[in-house]
Amino acid sequence: MKNRLKVLRAERDWSQGDLAQRLEVSRQSVNAIETGKFDPSLPLAFKLARLFGKPIEEIFSDEEQQCSESAS
Amino acid sequence: MTCSINPGQRRWVFSCWVSALLVALLSVGTALWFRFGHLHGPLAYPVAIVPALPILWVLVETWRYVATEKDEFLRMLLVQCLLGGTGGTLATTTVWGWLEAFRLAPHLAPTMVYAIFWLFVGVSFPVVYARYR
Repeated sequence: MKNRLKVLRAERDWSQGDLAQRLEVSRQSVNAIETGKFDPSLPLAFKLARLFGKPIEEIFSDEEQQCSESAS
Repeated sequence: MTCSINPGQRRWVFSCWVSALLVALLSVGTALWFRFGHLHGPLAYPVAIVPALPILWVLVETWRYVATEKDEFLRMLLVQCLLGGTGGTLATTTVWGWLEAFRLAPHLAPTMVYAIFWLFVGVSFPVVYARYR
C-alpha cells in the first residue's frame, strides 16, 4: 500500500522520530510504514489520519485500485 | 535502523538472559544433587523439574510481552521470529526423529528441544529484521 507519510511529515518538518513519538510507536515502525514495507492496522491508520487532520484515503492509497484505474 | 529498545523489550530480553543463566545453574546443581545426594522417592520428582521452571517462566514472559506490546510492528517482528523458531524446531526434530527411528542418528533428548527453538529464533532475528531495513 502506497502512502504520503513522508510528504506530510516533511510539510510539518517532523523527523521519523518526531512522528513516532506522537504516534507512541517506534521509529522503526514509522520507517517501515513510510517505505511501504508494513501496512498499519486500522486503529493506527486512524491515529495517523487524526494527527495529520486528513481522511485515511488521502494518506494511504490502494495500489491495486490505482492499477485497475490506470488500465481502464 | 537503530536498535533502541522500549521498557517491555528490555524486560523480556532481561528475563531471557536470566532464565538461560538459571537453567544452566539449576541443571548443574540438580545433576550434582542427583549424583551425590542419591535422590530418590517423591522428593526426586520436584527436584528433577526445577531446571524447567525458568524455561516456563520465560515462556510466560514471552507471552506477556507479545500480549502487551503496543507497537504492532515490533510485535509482528517478534512473532515472525518466534514462528521461525517454531518452524525450525519442528523441521529439525521431525527429520531427526526419522533418522533416529532408522538408527541413523543418536537419541535427541527432549530437553534439547527448547535450546533448538531459541537457536532458530536467534537465526530468524537477522533474517526478519533485514526484510524491513
